[in-house]
Amino acid sequence: MAIFTKKVAEELFGELWTRMIKDYGFGKSLKESGISIYFVVSDPDMVMFVDENGPIFGTEAEKKMPVVTMKMKGDIVHKFWLKDLNVPMALALRQIVAKGPVNKVLQLLPLMKPGMEIYPEYCKKFKLPMKA
Amino acid sequence: MEYFDIQFMNLTEDDIALKKATHKFAEEVMRPTAKALDTMSAEDVVADGSPLWTFLKKAYELGYHKTLLPEYYGGLGLSPLQVHIVFEELGWGSFGLSVLLGVICFPFYVSCLAGNEELIEKYVKPFCACTDASIRGCWAITEPDHGSDYIASGEDYFTTPKMHGNVQARLEGDEYVINGQKSAWVSGGTIATHALLFLQLDPKHGFGGNGICVLPLDLDGVTKGKPLEKIGQRDLNQGEIYFDNVRIPKSYMLAEPTFYEPLLEMILASANMIMATWSTGIARAAFEEALVYSKERVQGTRPLIEHYAHKQRVFKLFARTEVIRAISRNVLNLNLNVSPPLAEYSLVAKSQCTEMAFQNAHELIQIMGGNGLTREYIAEKLFRDARATLIEDGNNETLERHGGHILAETYPRPPLDF
Repeated sequence: MAIFTKKVAEELFGELWTRMIKDYGFGKSLKESGISIYFVVSDPDMVMFVDENGPIFGTEAEKKMPVVTMKMKGDIVHKFWLKDLNVPMALALRQIVAKGPVNKVLQLLPLMKPGMEIYPEYCKKFKLPMKA
Repeated sequence: MEYFDIQFMNLTEDDIALKKATHKFAEEVMRPTAKALDTMSAEDVVADGSPLWTFLKKAYELGYHKTLLPEYYGGLGLSPLQVHIVFEELGWGSFGLSVLLGVICFPFYVSCLAGNEELIEKYVKPFCACTDASIRGCWAITEPDHGSDYIASGEDYFTTPKMHGNVQARLEGDEYVINGQKSAWVSGGTIATHALLFLQLDPKHGFGGNGICVLPLDLDGVTKGKPLEKIGQRDLNQGEIYFDNVRIPKSYMLAEPTFYEPLLEMILASANMIMATWSTGIARAAFEEALVYSKERVQGTRPLIEHYAHKQRVFKLFARTEVIRAISRNVLNLNLNVSPPLAEYSLVAKSQCTEMAFQNAHELIQIMGGNGLTREYIAEKLFRDARATLIEDGNNETLERHGGHILAETYPRPPLDF
């Protein structure tokens, strides 16, 4: 069973990424690094595009040309934000598959850390389990 | 020699400038250094005052030691095509010195791959900032009792307890205690300041119980052997490293057994595709020598190139060079743009490109006749250097078997359709 519904995921990650960009300088970091990301999530099926301007979902996201694309299941997304996932190992085991310059993918991990710190707040808000 | 690039329409001004600058370094710094080191004893190669140190300092000043590292940590941040351009030129300059520059970055590159933030702060960033060649890595994998079988994770013996590593570690509190010996084939081994060390943590699972750590080589209990004498790549320092109750923090272990085989596969995929890329340089060097020599050398009243047989021979060297470049560029572009890398393509690149580069070096000597055997020309050095590549980073037969294992386990591979 999916860890969250598509509706919850879009609302949660819309808020999370917007806050990271506005309050944590994530947009500036993305812009300086020349990184945009397209997430292809399964269970629930959803797509999201993020660049320095914020997150967008669905057909709007599909039209974008990302630098990095990451494909994973919803429970892996949840584990990642809970800091419960060894990302290099998840990549090696194909739990996450990424397309785009490897150096940019490696660079993304430290940039996304502030989001991990505030993710538990959203777990509470959306009644998600705090353990993967 | 100014060399036409089949992808010239895709090269930016930056790419072309990078190619010219790297070629200048390869021609003016690497080639003379490699030629000098080739005639020296292995011990003299690394002695104080050796041209090796001048070369390394220059290479670090220009940033060639951090070609693979992310810009975010201070690396060059090159595109896959630019990485290929740089490595082809370096391979043209000297295969052995290229390997040395490659292994020098290995502990730091793999720290990034493994996402170890502590080591990135402590070692990777200073390495990227280093301009005096005082921080140097090595790849400590091969052992007295284990060569290519160290990487043969697809073989049935790999995870049996009979696979007993020569370097073992045990956990004591928050530290690993390391004992044993790596073989004389550790590239960069006797001059390194840090090792990417492969070792056994859980012998009951054979090499499935292995791990990978970063180990500063100034720790108590580390000693080094004498530099290895060998027929080719004599400019590449290699030698043993010994460990006697060496202690490292647990956090320096990049991979424990659960992550060992996946990380090993990623490391091999990287190393093998880079070997293929350097092979482009050595193949091209052989072609260029053949072309120049064939135009200058007169036999039977006319230059060799005017003899039909030689025209065909020279063309075959050209053709192989183009095929090697096409394969190695495609694979580098694929595997520096996909995570995890598709290891079978790196294995294709390494096994095929090194074979073809060796054929080029071999046929260059045949074209040159007796002159090809003398030290007056670079041909015999290219031949000796290219011969080593068929064994280096896993002998090609073992790598092909491993490639077959991947096919058997994972093919047909579904497309990456997202």
